[in-house]
Amino acid sequence: MRTLDLVGTAVSNTSRSKLRTALTVMAIVIGAFTLTVTAGIGSGVNKYIDTMMASFGDEDQLYILDETNMDQAGAPGSAGAPPEYDPETAGASSEFGFITLDAADIDVIQDIDGVESVNPMVSVNGEYLETPDGTAYALDQFDAPQNASGLEFAAGGAPQGNDEITVPTAWLEIFDTEDPHAVIGQEIEIGLSNAIGEPQSATAEIVGVTEEAISGLGGNPMPSIALNDALYQLQTSGMDIDDQYMAVTAVVTDLEGNEDAVKADLEDQGYLAMTVEDQIGAIQGIINMVTYILIGFALIALLAASFGIVNTLLMSVQERTREIGLMKALGMSGGRVFALFSLEAAIIGLLGSGIGIGLGVITGVAGNQFLTSGPLSDVAGLTLFEVEPAALGLIGLLIVAIAFVSGTLPASRAARKDPITALRHE
Amino acid sequence: MASPVLETHGLVKTYGHGESEFQALKGITTKIWNAESVAVVGKSGSGKSTLMHLLALLDAPTQGSIVLSGQMTSQLGAREFSQLRNETFGFVFQQFFLNPQQTVLENVTLPLKIAGVSKTERNQRGMETLEQLDMAEKAKNKATTLSGGQKQRACIARALINEPTVIFADEPTGNLDTATGEIVEDILFDLHTLRMITLIVVTHDEDLAAKCQRRLIMQDGQILREEHGVTA
Repeated sequence: MRTLDLVGTAVSNTSRSKLRTALTVMAIVIGAFTLTVTAGIGSGVNKYIDTMMASFGDEDQLYILDETNMDQAGAPGSAGAPPEYDPETAGASSEFGFITLDAADIDVIQDIDGVESVNPMVSVNGEYLETPDGTAYALDQFDAPQNASGLEFAAGGAPQGNDEITVPTAWLEIFDTEDPHAVIGQEIEIGLSNAIGEPQSATAEIVGVTEEAISGLGGNPMPSIALNDALYQLQTSGMDIDDQYMAVTAVVTDLEGNEDAVKADLEDQGYLAMTVEDQIGAIQGIINMVTYILIGFALIALLAASFGIVNTLLMSVQERTREIGLMKALGMSGGRVFALFSLEAAIIGLLGSGIGIGLGVITGVAGNQFLTSGPLSDVAGLTLFEVEPAALGLIGLLIVAIAFVSGTLPASRAARKDPITALRHE
Repeated sequence: MASPVLETHGLVKTYGHGESEFQALKGITTKIWNAESVAVVGKSGSGKSTLMHLLALLDAPTQGSIVLSGQMTSQLGAREFSQLRNETFGFVFQQFFLNPQQTVLENVTLPLKIAGVSKTERNQRGMETLEQLDMAEKAKNKATTLSGGQKQRACIARALINEPTVIFADEPTGNLDTATGEIVEDILFDLHTLRMITLIVVTHDEDLAAKCQRRLIMQDGQILREEHGVTA
């Protein structure tokens, strides 16, 4: 029998007992639907986290702390038990119980091979922000300028010059406008207190309006690195104290290639270095775990569905015993009979995966549209579901393969039928 | 009739094992000549159906050998058996075995479909064969809508379509009334005489058997005697 005829015969055989085929297909649809939605959500959320990752700093940056902090924090890379007490380290100055870094540390880090530049992460506490109309509004934190690459803009761009700053969309209200473009170019005054409590101020120009991401980035004004340093100088003026940094960021040449070497060197010097990926890895690990568990459930559904296929086809083989006997008597080989029934299983799988994946994609896209433009519209850049053609193809293949394997038992039973006994079958 | 189309040597067929062992054939040696019409006659249990199955290569003998057109069949594999059946044999069954879901034409062209003939050629040859049997107008009907005689004619058309050298007919008139049965018999014997097709009929109908050139009368797994000449 020609392959084309074989396929045609298989198709017409599956449509022979429509209700039974439909019910079997239904079980597969459920599995395919679950797999599609799960995989789509997994990749959608991971993609969102990837964009968020960028908001935690440039990807070629290392985030460096004193190693002692991590030994106690139980954070990723911590060594478990606390280190031995060392009076010298304990004497080092700290902020909020945090062992800080100073100018000497920066020099050490700067000398490590592969490190291009070192930027201390300084945090500035503002007191007020005065709009051009002269009203002052309470101001607390700034977003760290190192994270500028992760910002999403409603208008304008990242702060770069000496006195540039961005403001979040939520703050447009204090400028008496709803149009983000209207505030670009406006001058504001930033007020803060120095180390001995004297009021200080600086002016800045708004160059961008930011959307707040789910990470919180973009929810506070962000000064340029230069403005941040200038504000920090104002904040620490009035007293002769050494600069203390909770952490520094280091730009490394070819981070991907040098990551292990630079990290090892830093560790030898007593620092803990993390890439952006290290920091975000844990979150993605959890998302992946949840995705895998859901995929596991979908696979269990498919396993149940595969027994449905076995059952349906066994019944079909039983019902068509005489037909099989006739085909074999008329010269159809066992191999072709096997192929015919396996194909019927594959067709059931193809139907089920086609419908299930289709429904899954429609549900996912519509659900994503509904949630991101409805209840979750405040979260900038959020994707909950993403269509990945390769993943969908893989799901389809997997299901057809499962169906085909399920079909082999009934098919081999059909192929082994003896034509005489089969023809005598009532 | 110069050469035998089928030749058997000491055919033994045993079913079951041990206590339940049953010898359906106890050593059959016979020859069936080309373009001959042979009736295998006997009561049920005489082994006539078993002999037909072995001759038609639907089953393998426990002992003995079958030679088809000079070729020892015991050396062939399952696939070659299938192919030989498809190319050289036509089957007419008592119960017709027509697929009720399919049209008459689809039923009739099934052997060609199995042989891998293209659809166009299948349908063309199918229509030609149906026309010869006055069944052309029923080609598009479902097999279930046919009368008994029409069903058997469709069945004969299916047996003829691959231009076989041998047609096996297993109680071809068993499910038909006398008048219809006679028409079907006439068709079969016309094919035999006009197209020189070897006809092997298994029956316990003596009138049908009498129309054959030779009768093998079977009893208890053996050929009791042979009768020659058309007696009816």
